[in-house]
Amino acid sequence: MNNHILEWLPAYHDDELPAYQRQQVKDHLEICPVCRTELQTLLDLSMLLKSDPLPQLTFPERFAAQVHLLLPRSAPPRLQKPRLPGWVLATPLALVVIWAFVQAGVWLTSFTLGTSLIFPVITPSFLLEDSLGIPGTLLVLNLVLSAGLVVLLSAWTALWHRWKQQQNPSSVFTYLGKEV
Amino acid sequence: MAPDGAKGDHRVVDDRDLIASAQLGDRQAFGELVRRHQRGVVSVVYRMCGDLRLAEDAAQEAFIRTWQNLNRYNPQYAFRSWLYRIAANSALDTLRRERPAAVIDTLPLPDPRPTPEQTAEKDERAALTRRSIARLSEPLRIVLVLREYEELSYQEISTVLDIPIGTVMSRLNTARTQLRRELAGFLEEA
Repeated sequence: MNNHILEWLPAYHDDELPAYQRQQVKDHLEICPVCRTELQTLLDLSMLLKSDPLPQLTFPERFAAQVHLLLPRSAPPRLQKPRLPGWVLATPLALVVIWAFVQAGVWLTSFTLGTSLIFPVITPSFLLEDSLGIPGTLLVLNLVLSAGLVVLLSAWTALWHRWKQQQNPSSVFTYLGKEV
Repeated sequence: MAPDGAKGDHRVVDDRDLIASAQLGDRQAFGELVRRHQRGVVSVVYRMCGDLRLAEDAAQEAFIRTWQNLNRYNPQYAFRSWLYRIAANSALDTLRRERPAAVIDTLPLPDPRPTPEQTAEKDERAALTRRSIARLSEPLRIVLVLREYEELSYQEISTVLDIPIGTVMSRLNTARTQLRRELAGFLEEA
């Protein structure tokens, strides 16, 4: 290894390198005075910082007692998990019921007219023949309604998923969001 | 972010029992948590503030905030990580409240209660070190304090501050570079 490994030295100094990299740094240090000097400076800085000892608490027992006295009388407030309103939860069910109702109506109309409004792909000539007639209009409306319901259901699912994630953050902290 | 609360020492288990009791309002259990962690919390806030009196106030405030938010603690992670973050924020709030401007050059020179064996040179060196740390920006200072004084791993610091490990490393390097420049005289002596 001919190049200096200065960028690895802080992690080496902090014992944060994986074993194979640590060995590489060790080997390099044996032959490189520049990197040895850099490492020594990091060690000296740590020693200098630690040479300022932590002063003793004024009275350690009194500290704990004072905290005890300052604590609010009440128990730590319990978290109330926010709940979604009932109408929000009922929305997808309502959408499905509406869709089923419309489909039932379309089936009945189809039966009455003797044509297929449900499976236009099977009877593609249907649209060509009656493109602007009543059956054609019903078919288009049915398709638009079905697509609209799919979009609404997808949007509801995405919003619900996001809300659930916000209720169960993966972070360790649910308090003190500010950056320090 | 990997959970770091599963370390095998019995204190962690005991802490969890104490936390569970304290969450139900057991003040004695919380008192025991305070006794166990007061040194670490005071250390963090002292290194952030550079003043023992302010540090004690900030540490008390940190424990009170901890009590008030105890039911927000996620037991999957180390209690110490959560506590240190509250302590760091408490230290910063105290500093902003008590020393709104020009704080650095007013930091107490030597320790208010020097021991007899402390020499003037040691006092000066310690005071200048504290001032240099105080000159660091808050994000750099907290990373340096947690690494150099509390000896937290990069992963633990990342957990405490909720920042990526890469950011921990870059902040630590920047802080050290700045300190090396400011304390060059002492480092050359060493």
